[in-house]
Amino acid sequence: MTSFFGKLKSQNATGPAVGTTPAKKDPNAPLPTPLERMLMNAGPIRNDGSDKFFGMENFGNTCYCNSILQCLYYSVPFRDHVLSYPKRSTPESVAHAQAHAPPRIPPLQQNGTAKKPLGPSSARSAGTPPQQQKPEDKDSPEYKKKQALLAGPILNMSYENSREYEMPETLFTSLKDLFEAVVVNQSRMGVISPSRFLETLRRENEMFRSAMHQDAHEFLNLLLNTVVENIEDHDRKVIAQRKAEQPLRGVEDDGDLSKTESESGTVSFPPILPTPTTSSPTRWLHELFEGTLTSETRCLTCENVSQRDEPFLDLSVDLEQHSSVTACLRRFSEEEMLCERNKFHCDNCGGLQEAEKRMKIKRLPKILALHLKRFKYTEDLQRLQKLFHKVVYPYHLRLFNTTDDAEDPDRLYELYAVVVHIGGGPYHGHYVAVIKTQDRGWLLFDDEMVEPVDKTFVRNFFGDRPGLACAYVLFYQETTFEAVQKEQRMEGKRRASQDLTSGLAVPPRQSAELHQVQTVTPMGSPGSPSDATYYATLDHAVTAPPEFTTNGHVESPRSPPPPTVRPPSPVLQSKRERVKEEKAHEKARRAAEKQAEKDRQEVEKQRRKVLAAKLTEAQKRQEAELKAALEASKASKAEEDKRHALERSQTVHANGSGSGSSGFDRFKRTKSLRFGSLNKKEKPQLDSSEENVASPDAMTPEKEKDKDKDKEKEKDRRNRFSIRKKSFGMLP
Amino acid sequence: MFAIPPPPRYPTNNGLITATLETANTLTHREGPEYTFQAGEGTYILRDDLQLATPPPHPSEAPVINPNPLATSVVPPTSGVKLSLVSLNPKQINHDLYKAPTATSSLKENKEPEKEPRISIETTSDISNPAISINGSNKSSTVRAFGEGNAALSPVISRGDGLKRRKPKNNIIKSNSSFVSRVIPHEGLVKKLVERDPGGTFAFANINRAFQWLDLSSSSKQDPMTKILFTKAHMLCHDVNPLTKHPTHMDVVMGSSASDIIWYEPMSQKYARINKNGIINSSAVAKIRWIPGSENHFLAAHMDGTLVVYDKEKEDAPFVSEELVDEGISIEDEEQSTLVITKSVNSSNQKANPVACWKISNQAITDFAFSPDSKHLAVVGDDGCLRIIDYLQERLTDIYSSYYGAFTCVCWSPDGKYVLTGGQDDLVSIWSLHERQIIARCHGHDSWVAAVAFDPWRCDDRNYRFGSVGEDCKLLLWDFSVGMLHRPKGATARTRGSISQQSGSLLRQRTESASVINRIRSDSNRTGSIQQDIVDESEFINHPVEPRARTAQLPPVMSKKIDDHPLSGLAFEQDCIITSCVEGHVRTWDRPREGPNSSQVDLSEKKRP
Repeated sequence: MTSFFGKLKSQNATGPAVGTTPAKKDPNAPLPTPLERMLMNAGPIRNDGSDKFFGMENFGNTCYCNSILQCLYYSVPFRDHVLSYPKRSTPESVAHAQAHAPPRIPPLQQNGTAKKPLGPSSARSAGTPPQQQKPEDKDSPEYKKKQALLAGPILNMSYENSREYEMPETLFTSLKDLFEAVVVNQSRMGVISPSRFLETLRRENEMFRSAMHQDAHEFLNLLLNTVVENIEDHDRKVIAQRKAEQPLRGVEDDGDLSKTESESGTVSFPPILPTPTTSSPTRWLHELFEGTLTSETRCLTCENVSQRDEPFLDLSVDLEQHSSVTACLRRFSEEEMLCERNKFHCDNCGGLQEAEKRMKIKRLPKILALHLKRFKYTEDLQRLQKLFHKVVYPYHLRLFNTTDDAEDPDRLYELYAVVVHIGGGPYHGHYVAVIKTQDRGWLLFDDEMVEPVDKTFVRNFFGDRPGLACAYVLFYQETTFEAVQKEQRMEGKRRASQDLTSGLAVPPRQSAELHQVQTVTPMGSPGSPSDATYYATLDHAVTAPPEFTTNGHVESPRSPPPPTVRPPSPVLQSKRERVKEEKAHEKARRAAEKQAEKDRQEVEKQRRKVLAAKLTEAQKRQEAELKAALEASKASKAEEDKRHALERSQTVHANGSGSGSSGFDRFKRTKSLRFGSLNKKEKPQLDSSEENVASPDAMTPEKEKDKDKDKEKEKDRRNRFSIRKKSFGMLP
Repeated sequence: MFAIPPPPRYPTNNGLITATLETANTLTHREGPEYTFQAGEGTYILRDDLQLATPPPHPSEAPVINPNPLATSVVPPTSGVKLSLVSLNPKQINHDLYKAPTATSSLKENKEPEKEPRISIETTSDISNPAISINGSNKSSTVRAFGEGNAALSPVISRGDGLKRRKPKNNIIKSNSSFVSRVIPHEGLVKKLVERDPGGTFAFANINRAFQWLDLSSSSKQDPMTKILFTKAHMLCHDVNPLTKHPTHMDVVMGSSASDIIWYEPMSQKYARINKNGIINSSAVAKIRWIPGSENHFLAAHMDGTLVVYDKEKEDAPFVSEELVDEGISIEDEEQSTLVITKSVNSSNQKANPVACWKISNQAITDFAFSPDSKHLAVVGDDGCLRIIDYLQERLTDIYSSYYGAFTCVCWSPDGKYVLTGGQDDLVSIWSLHERQIIARCHGHDSWVAAVAFDPWRCDDRNYRFGSVGEDCKLLLWDFSVGMLHRPKGATARTRGSISQQSGSLLRQRTESASVINRIRSDSNRTGSIQQDIVDESEFINHPVEPRARTAQLPPVMSKKIDDHPLSGLAFEQDCIITSCVEGHVRTWDRPREGPNSSQVDLSEKKRP
């Protein structure tokens, strides 16, 4: 093990970071990590959690959990919804809960098995050399992880705050605790120690109790299902409460869950909300991850076509050597014959008949989670084996296998996260996540370590490279053509600005501006918690600007007024901080300008010297920097002026915390578009059960088929089945 | 409880790299049904399989195989085997099927009226059909040559004939450059050159850090005429100038992963290094091509999204953008899709390279192709855009977008009416430049498309044959005819012919919905040219993505897995199809014997060992 990490040495030494040039100053000072370098001059912290980059501590083979949680956190709508459902907690309450948290067991003492529930010695403890016999390799992942833990801050998530949300402690509240803690924290980077989340997970699910290697996809499936359950439970409770409190209102319609839900808006929504007819907040998770599959079965005897809809939260696709995700999805929808043991029970002509069946996507999800079935059951070995097929996945995707009547069949998706499995088989190995963040490009999340990576890094996991690392779950999210084009434009600029950060001082505002979220958000939340966030942001920005810089968190108006009046001191302090910060900005700006002026002269000089002898490599780089600096200083100047003007008139605009009102409009539009289909879906809970009863025959061949499939993966059945079971409640 | 010993978190060794590295090419003949494929015209049979040897890593560049699969260091780009084929004295192409071998394309008809007939000062050979203009005899052209308006670019010395071609300066065999590691010429090179069939085909091929010069007509074609090993750089692309080729001279340019460009003359073993150490552009060269009709100029597509025209004769000089930073146009306003001329071909400063430099995208360019009439350039890239550029006027005319994902390859139909693209959406798309819209999407590949090419021997003025190869190890052949093109998706092939009312209205709709964007011009110190005012008015059309439901689909006429590795190259020759893969297999497939062209049969029989 140790020798292996020794080998890692010197490999990375040449290129410590991708897309950044090493800092030149202070040779004695410890070099900033690539992440620190990236976040230099990042501007004020936003309150939506989009600029937080926290690693997650590994408690022995919990990388499956870490990688999935990271993927979910960086889904903008998912994070927004988790934070705002049922309401956002105040920073005070988070702080209060944190204060009462049981102490965290420091990482170095963790080598013993005491901390781990059941397992023998874990991969983690085995992987960390117990004694430092030689100078440590600073490029090894283990070293970087240790450094990340040392650098901190470590968010000790051993507490729970579910009472604040007026919910019982569930997997959802634990998840919310994690997200809240990250968002409220003052630091941009650190390490989350999600001990309580794991406890909850293990308490409720026997499967995850062992310290063994677990399947990340199974975990994702379970997590999404459990969260759905938790939220539904809570909503039922709230409705019941509402009814008990207001028996006279009489507006509520028992059947219409959604309506009831939003009328009881005092809990979950601010009064600003435009209409009470919005979709039920319970549905947000469905709205994000759920799509509908239609299986069309054509009886070969009577030619009768029967259709059956089935919701899904993710798609599991079979793999073939040298294929693409597109082809895998296409194959997923290819016709298959139901014959022999697997005949179809036709309602029309009665009895088991041969039939043709194909699965198509009728409703496309906003977030498409694609599970590549890399673990295949092999008869000879009587166990699962990992497939090392080369399966390529593009950065963007559209689905070919939609039904003819599908809404928006040409929906464009962009790849935003990849869960990578490293290892030779299904029973061991390691998971990491490679995630495209909203405005900071791609990052690698390897437990405690977070590192910016080049966009091309994502393509290292097709399965054809040495190192046994393959993409296992792909997350595609809905986007638009315009957004993609805009982003491609931004990419070039970002590259330029990254070059800058290492050399010249970039005015923080400028940098923040560059990184500002440009994504068009058709990702729009179905419920409007994020709308509310925007409102909140703007509101606050006018009245109390300093709050942004102090705690980076804004209470949304919908949260009940804090019981105690805020002590004035933090505001004062923050004002001082702000002044200080502004001075720094000014300084940076002047420096940049001076530099730029110098540069301009140099450009002239260089022009004259066009024919002069060859420039060295360093000079070339400088030149690029110059150009960028020119632009940067110009832009910052304009920005600075604007800001001063704004300050004078006492209206500081909310810095970098979202796209403002235009974004809100967009949300509104998407929402209103969706009402019709939503309500239709929402209502007939009875119908679905009817269908459930009415068509058990039609189901049988399916079930048989499932059994066959389930042989491949026994655990899978439980999960799949649970979706299906639950899904019946939602069928139209 | 049963406990599995904790395995390493990061694998210590990988069982995947086991292939032993051979140093000599091997030639094998295989037979059997899996080495044939069937198309309408007959059966194609594998003639032979030439396996190019992957060279072992350079001793000083110890094998950098990082066992950590998560290492974030950027791996320099590499490329599967690509072939540049050249025949020094080809037999006149008799297009039995291709009856309209004219460069008078619809494009020309379409756009010519707008332009003033130009007075050409110097007649330069129009090599719209390179096979015909080998001897430089076809010097009748109304097409302006690249950079013609610029006096600074007019040739200094007029060369009498091709015999006194200027050679590069340095001998590659005696070179002590650290860039070139080793050169292994064939011991009987001179003899081989004399004795060979003058009509035979040479091939230049890249594999890993090696570059090989092969004589495909030789009976021992596995022995390279010359093999060059570079120290570290991989050659990603190469091209032979059809204008200057001669039994004693060939101009080969190649672009490397290290951004350096090599101008190589194989007969005399001389070379020159251009863009040395990336002095002009430091990103890798994805594609390189001689500019049609030009002896000295070639175009290189760098991976930072820049197209650069170099002159093989000129020295490098550090490049400073000549584009003025215009106050009116801040970066924020800059449309992604514009062509930014950082140095115009009309620039008066032409003492050193580059001749011209155009920034067209922030993303890598993956491929480009010159139109047969030598007026337009089709460029594709990672941004999923197909750009049609009037490179003579340095003007962008159209941008088309892929269904999704990057484009990987592009080519023109022999008559210049259509452009084919292949991409990461597993599709081959056919674009009509006349109608300025997509014609059909071709479904059939199971993975990304790697190369597309027309088969000019099976094209006529109404019917087109083309092929494509992809990451799925498959070769696909496709036929489309002008008649079937406009059918909407719902209609099947049975109703071919008429352009329906619906598609007519669709066309209008498309044209209206296309956004017309004014090009942002950059004022550079170009010499005043007559075309200036035309350029000023220029604008391009950014075509939106067509929905699936409105686009015709085309199925392949043949689909076959022809290799065990992802394919990277495809070329149609008169008597065969040549494919190449990422692992170095160059396979030659004989055309069917019972073809309509008897001469083809003779040819292939003669070559059959």
